[in-house]
Amino acid sequence: MLGKLKSWEGFLFIVLVLIIVVNASLSPFFLTFNNQINLFQLSIEKIIVALVMTFIIINAEIDLSVGSMMGLSACAFGFMFQAGVPAGGAVVIALVIGGLGGALNGYFIAKVGLPSLVVTLATLIGFRGLARVLVEDRGITDFPDWFDALGQQAFAFGIPFALFAFVILFLILYVVLQKTAFGRLTYVIGTNRDVADFAGVNTGKHKMKLFIAAGIVSAFAGLLYAARVGAVRGDVALGFELDVITMVLLGGVSIFGGKGSLMGTLLAILIVLNLRNGMALNDITGHIQTGVIGLLLIASVLVPRLKLPAFLSGHQKGAKV
Amino acid sequence: MANPVLSLKNISKNFGMTAALADMSIDLYPGEVHAIVGENGAGKSTMIKIMTGVHQPSAGSLEIDSNAVSISGTSAAREQGVAAIYQEPMVFPDFDVTENIFASSTTEGWIQRRGKLRKKALALIERVGMKLDVDRIASGLTLAEQQAVEIARALSQDVRVLIMDEPTASLSAHEAAQLRRIATTLAEQGVAVVYISHRLEEIFEIAHRVTVIRDGQHISTKLVEDVTSDGMIAEMVGREVGNYFAKAPTHATDETILEVKDLALEGVYRGISFDLKVGEVLCMSGLIGARRTDVALSLFGILPASAGAIYYKGKPMEMKSAKQAMEAGIAYVSEDRRKFGLAMPMSIRENTTLATLAEFLSPRGIINRCREAEVTEAFRERLNIRTPDIEIEVGMLSGGNQQKVMLAKWLNMKPDLLILDEPTRGIDVGAKAEVHDLIRDFVANGGAAIVISSDLPEVLAMGDRILVMREGHQMGIIDNKDASQETIMALATGQTEAA
Repeated sequence: MLGKLKSWEGFLFIVLVLIIVVNASLSPFFLTFNNQINLFQLSIEKIIVALVMTFIIINAEIDLSVGSMMGLSACAFGFMFQAGVPAGGAVVIALVIGGLGGALNGYFIAKVGLPSLVVTLATLIGFRGLARVLVEDRGITDFPDWFDALGQQAFAFGIPFALFAFVILFLILYVVLQKTAFGRLTYVIGTNRDVADFAGVNTGKHKMKLFIAAGIVSAFAGLLYAARVGAVRGDVALGFELDVITMVLLGGVSIFGGKGSLMGTLLAILIVLNLRNGMALNDITGHIQTGVIGLLLIASVLVPRLKLPAFLSGHQKGAKV
Repeated sequence: MANPVLSLKNISKNFGMTAALADMSIDLYPGEVHAIVGENGAGKSTMIKIMTGVHQPSAGSLEIDSNAVSISGTSAAREQGVAAIYQEPMVFPDFDVTENIFASSTTEGWIQRRGKLRKKALALIERVGMKLDVDRIASGLTLAEQQAVEIARALSQDVRVLIMDEPTASLSAHEAAQLRRIATTLAEQGVAVVYISHRLEEIFEIAHRVTVIRDGQHISTKLVEDVTSDGMIAEMVGREVGNYFAKAPTHATDETILEVKDLALEGVYRGISFDLKVGEVLCMSGLIGARRTDVALSLFGILPASAGAIYYKGKPMEMKSAKQAMEAGIAYVSEDRRKFGLAMPMSIRENTTLATLAEFLSPRGIINRCREAEVTEAFRERLNIRTPDIEIEVGMLSGGNQQKVMLAKWLNMKPDLLILDEPTRGIDVGAKAEVHDLIRDFVANGGAAIVISSDLPEVLAMGDRILVMREGHQMGIIDNKDASQETIMALATGQTEAA
């Protein structure tokens, strides 16, 4: 299983290198330090959430509510701050809201047994509604300097805080997914939940943990967004869930669960970011950028289905009967 | 007698190397109820699938009205007047009776007039001989009524051969009687009814002729007046006991590991009582629908029992989850490798360690892959798992080797009680013998085993005692020395009640 995934990752790696080479040759600004940091900064919230989304999709579930949760946490933070709650306390409460929202998803999915597509579609609407109720469209600004600085200035070595957070989260989650029992069970449950149940695994609890983690990380990402932009509105992070899911699927994670890796997600993230950045540097508009990303996603689903040499085909054929 | 409406002429069907049917010839006459009996796996389903066009025969031919025909699929079979209904009726739950009867109709034109269809539906239901409101929604009907709807659907397409495949297996006594009446009524109207059932008493009630098949071969076709139930069972079971696998001496001790008293799961099974000694193998025998797997799942905590008591190692225990059962030392090897047993796209190593993953963790919670590989390699050697590499996907292995990986997963738990559900289904004879040896080794070394099996020679070879179930009831427990295939089958089909 891992061997085959590595080959899909190898394919993504080649694509990434090509994009970087083309970008570098077309624009002298591409390889500058500032541009490279900027490239991450503009999508940093989405790529952080993509890391937990990888777990959720490998587990054969989906979480559509992440964008709305980002919005809700940012708006809850803004609302509380405006109401006089100290920013530090508001941050903690926003993270707790993320955990509770995730637990709500997890309850209906893991305990009641409803499909995650339906549950998180409902909370996508619900969380967003709550965010708009809290902040409406007027926008809240004037956060404390330390909060804005966290989002807008370099934290150390000229690198912003959010990028550090992404790298650290990636390293932790990589170990969890590839090296621990929790990670192994994430794959087993995603492959066949009944097999895990019959092996004495509490699969409901496992799914609960994943959705709570998704809620907290989304809330965290929402706060990063508020800090980076320095303002919140009811439509913060609107539609981000689709970009997040796109990156994960492009990374070779199977929408049917059981297959994929964080390395694949990371490569897909880098491909999407570099492609967008390269096009932006060459004055290609955002809409066309989005179209190209869409084509890329279709290709990523198609390519493994084509009869390719073994080193290129990421998904195995059906099991022998 | 008139000419046969459908004849199977020397039909053979091979799946790869396995011959599911060999040189099978049967004539079906209009107006008869023709019962076909045989053990699980005798080839009944393959025969039905050939008659209904699902499978094509490897050799031989089908004749309708003495003309050779080839039936390319179920819709072609319907056109030829051959239809089948099964244990699970296939109705559209949200349609009413009329709509269900004409759901697949192509003869009623593009625009179907409700009034006209309703009238036709009434006539068809009348022909079936059941009182049924044609405006009722199908999901509210009983199983027998749903089957009547299916039969009416077949009649609407001028069915001449109606195959009823264990139609009463999941029906209550009253409903089953209704359905048998339908079969008789249709035969009186000139339909050839093929009736497949494990309930021998039904066959004596409604069949005109009985065909016994065994191991894909035609054994006999007789008038029902000329057969006895003992004779029929002897023909179904056939092969001599002892030439398959010999019974090894028992390892049973005096120490009781498990005692089950009056265990029941509402609506599924009840009155299950037995004990199991250390070193003993208890086999559970019965036909499809006997509910043996449900009893096993209750012991393993997946399907907690609703009444009765389980005493494990002398202590009363309520099995509420698989985890709890596993902690007590109970392992369950599922009958369905694909659905419940193995994560097919994952490696042999990952599957072998799945039930005992906690044992492979470092203090920091990291899985020790080297230890995993060591343990898996050891099992590969011990169970003779034939594979080039333990990193290979389990799905790529043969059935026998998959079964061994599943055994490895559970043996690694070092259980005290091993429950094996159809441990040798679909695996070759060599692997079968190896699995049997493993079970014997396991009990000889202080374990105890419950083996659910539909393979009677296997039951006789493995079971120190044999618990026979039928439709959720415990029919009796037989000592191996008193057991034969005939006595087991008699209990399993409800011909006798053991003490």
